[in-house]
Amino acid sequence: MPSDTVAVIGGGPAGLRAAQTIAELGHRVVLIEQHHELGGRPIQENYAGITPHGEPAEPLLRRMAELVTTNPLAEVRLSTEVIGVRGEPGDFTLTLESVAGTETLDVGAAVLATGFQHFDPGRETQMYGYYEFPDVIALQDLEGMLKEHKVVRPSNGETPKKLCFVQCVGSRDRHIGNEYCSKVCCGVASKEAIEVRQLLPDCQVYIFYIDMRMYGYWESQIYWPAQEKHHVQYVKGIITEVLPKGDKLIVRGEDTTMGRPMELAMDMVVLSVGMEPSAGTRKMSRLFGVAQNKYGFVRAASSPLDPVSTSRDGIYACGAALGPADLEDAVSSGSNAATKAISFIRTRNAVAEGRDAVVTG
Amino acid sequence: MTQSSAIYKVPDVAGHTDVSYEEKARLFAEVKSDVRFSDYLYGCYECGICVAACPSARFYDFSPRRIAQAAAREDVELIYQQMQEDIWECSQCFSCLRCPRGNNPGGIITIMREVSINNGLNSAKEALGGYSRIIYKIMSTGTQVSPDMLQPDAFPDWGPETGDVSNNLDLWRRALPSDTLHTTSTGWDVSERTLVELYLIWFHTGALSMIKDVDSGLHAILQEIMEERLEDEGIEL
Amino acid sequence: MTIPMEALMHKKANFERDTERYHDFREELLNLADSGEIMLQRITGETAEVPTKYGRMKRIQKGHLWHHKSCGQCGHIPGYSTSIFWVMRKLGYDSLDPKDQTSCTAWNYYASATSNAAAQAAVAVRNFAAAHETGYYPMIHCGTSYGHYKEVRHELMAHPELRREVREVMKKLGKQLVLPEEIVHYSEWFHAMRHEIAAKQTRDFSNIAVTVHPACHYYKLVEGDAIYDPDVYGGQRTAVVTALAESLGAEVRNYSTWFDCCGFGFRHILVQRDFTRSFATLRKIERMKEEADPDVVLTHDTGCVTTLDKSQFATQAHGRNVGIAVMSEAQFAALAMGAHPYKVCQLHWHSADYRPLLEKMGIDHEQAWAEFQADLARLERGEKRYLDWDDVDA
Repeated sequence: MPSDTVAVIGGGPAGLRAAQTIAELGHRVVLIEQHHELGGRPIQENYAGITPHGEPAEPLLRRMAELVTTNPLAEVRLSTEVIGVRGEPGDFTLTLESVAGTETLDVGAAVLATGFQHFDPGRETQMYGYYEFPDVIALQDLEGMLKEHKVVRPSNGETPKKLCFVQCVGSRDRHIGNEYCSKVCCGVASKEAIEVRQLLPDCQVYIFYIDMRMYGYWESQIYWPAQEKHHVQYVKGIITEVLPKGDKLIVRGEDTTMGRPMELAMDMVVLSVGMEPSAGTRKMSRLFGVAQNKYGFVRAASSPLDPVSTSRDGIYACGAALGPADLEDAVSSGSNAATKAISFIRTRNAVAEGRDAVVTG
Repeated sequence: MTQSSAIYKVPDVAGHTDVSYEEKARLFAEVKSDVRFSDYLYGCYECGICVAACPSARFYDFSPRRIAQAAAREDVELIYQQMQEDIWECSQCFSCLRCPRGNNPGGIITIMREVSINNGLNSAKEALGGYSRIIYKIMSTGTQVSPDMLQPDAFPDWGPETGDVSNNLDLWRRALPSDTLHTTSTGWDVSERTLVELYLIWFHTGALSMIKDVDSGLHAILQEIMEERLEDEGIEL
Repeated sequence: MTIPMEALMHKKANFERDTERYHDFREELLNLADSGEIMLQRITGETAEVPTKYGRMKRIQKGHLWHHKSCGQCGHIPGYSTSIFWVMRKLGYDSLDPKDQTSCTAWNYYASATSNAAAQAAVAVRNFAAAHETGYYPMIHCGTSYGHYKEVRHELMAHPELRREVREVMKKLGKQLVLPEEIVHYSEWFHAMRHEIAAKQTRDFSNIAVTVHPACHYYKLVEGDAIYDPDVYGGQRTAVVTALAESLGAEVRNYSTWFDCCGFGFRHILVQRDFTRSFATLRKIERMKEEADPDVVLTHDTGCVTTLDKSQFATQAHGRNVGIAVMSEAQFAALAMGAHPYKVCQLHWHSADYRPLLEKMGIDHEQAWAEFQADLARLERGEKRYLDWDDVDA
């Protein structure tokens, strides 16, 4: 009899929710995480607060992980990588590698929750000087500072008096090849802008954007308070380049709606970097034999109505392995992929036993 | 005549009411049909990154963003206005290639300029006024600027060195150690055969006939020089 | 545990490119060559490898080069051309200075638009075919020619109908549609050869401060070909000129309008010079002066040298804060290797005062000028018709 176990690859928010769902529905789940701890990007990259409301990220993620680690049906393998996949839908054998050596794991289905990585702003948007000027940082770098409640200029340790965000860095760009919107950066930048204003009331904060994409409740949860309560300055006009003048950084753009050029001296520039498929997403897609879209994310074969099935039966994907996703997207698709994987195994068993399938489609 | 597609600017806002909508549409169709156009325009975010990078936008009422927006909106009235009033201000430096959408506003302008020339638009005639000699040089000699163009009366703002060059031109050219550079009326010594080949290119690609409408005198002179040279070589067109 | 500042700085200290992401245009070029659509001129002999913007390595042929000269350099800044020739000779690499070469005519294309895509491609291909016939590999002196030829290559690769049209025209000239494997700008050769150049340095430049103006048509037009080096500006700006100046021991200083155009404008430099002059001085020269106070501005294109050099005179008369020597990095490198400031670098064709710079370099410009005058006197006396390479090193 093939295994009823489901493998979940990746222990970030989506993978944690997938593993929790599988175990709560009564199936054995093995969660495989290449790092030494669970939590994914929010933990690895020291996110301060969760978007939209800014509640501290670390305790929330730790609690999410506990729901998995304390469930007797769930087994967590940390510092472990999948290096081989054999078999066929319904009866896969994974080869796992850790410091303890390699071993095999039989599973009936697998969920890829391998996530994203932050766009590397040196990759092509070089004119922002991320690797040249200490005071040019990225969203996640500022998260790390906010988590410590200490936002200072990396160049000299001083408190910034003027700080700006540059949106769409590495997203919506034909040259870079990332033609998609990364979905969360408008919200995350605005959330961070609010946090900077709260921490440093004397620091002016600007956000230079192409379009402000605050869909749904983010409008009233983030955008309006940022403008109305925290006086964050939103300017439609994207920055063309960042260069130093004295110990300041000059940002240059067009204030398009005012119809005038702008050249402002900043103490810090925060690049709102977008999402790209993580190395793990690229690697696991190849290993599990599932199709990727042109950007390297896992291709959802029957999107939009079935956003978690891949090109291969028995393999599902969730979270930012499928493309840019916020936390709500990630955990929703985590549960979705979990139920699809369980349905797949139950259908397989029903067919094997000559019963009617419990689900179809 | 107003057409329903011209919804973004009514004709009197974009001026040039003496020219019919059909004529403006025809000119835009010529721009759009250029082989380069599809590489030069995708869509426009209207983000202004091109304007921020643009030297001309700093000194003129000029905006590469408006060029891209007008072309993307296919606003033929506005495009015509730009062909008459804006396009010659562009510096053709291509800083606007910074566009995240992959647009090339400078390239769109190159095509708009060519169409203006082809169709003898007033702006093209004005822009080429005082420019005939340069076109003559490049098309007839194969080098664009020649040492003897450095005349102090033509470049009074370039300082007294221009006069020094002009006064000593022949001697200073002969002092150059490279033997292709002893010329004074061309940038370097271009061989006869090379010129013949260049002339054939101007004829066969239609580049020569482009200037017929904007500068018929120059066109006639160039045609005569080239035909004579080709005839000497026994080449019939 | 949160990331301390050191970890952030450490992360930012080292930029590595993921080269696998980028499409290499050469595959397409090779396919076109294999299918007989184009003739490809291959790089041969000794080469140097340098990284381009997206990490692809570009091979630069060291010798046996065909000088694709620049109209503006040859016409108005001849020391630019002769310095390129001279440095190459001094390093012992052979080259050919052809008469079978025309301008790329792009100055005209960008200025007056009295041309079209097919004509421009045909002119480019004619020059490439002329180089190919000699067996020498083309090296492009002008930034605009280099940029425009990259555009032409792109258009030829993208549009079969344009290839057909150009092939037809070439047939009438008895030539084929030839493209070189890499389009190489002379400043890339200087960049690739910077250590060989520095090894032959005879003048100390450690007290010389420079600013660099990068040419728009070099790195903004078809940007993927331009050279970027992780060790220069953290890989975030083009490395040509800057890396060479640093190799020669000069101090390269920053200023806040580095990415700005010079203001050349193609037609503006000739018929709307108020714009060119204003832009060149207000946005470039004055900013450099105020923020960096360099001894010289180094750049690597015909139009930029002309604009930055010639725009200062009238502005100075208005009492503005200008007055910086301007030259190409080729002239600067030649001076470092001991070249004569007038016989080789031809600085008497320049307008902005370069004499204080020469003094800082330890060059007695009065004596040098007297030497040059003595040579001119020989020409005037009819002892020789022309000076040659032996004379300039005498």
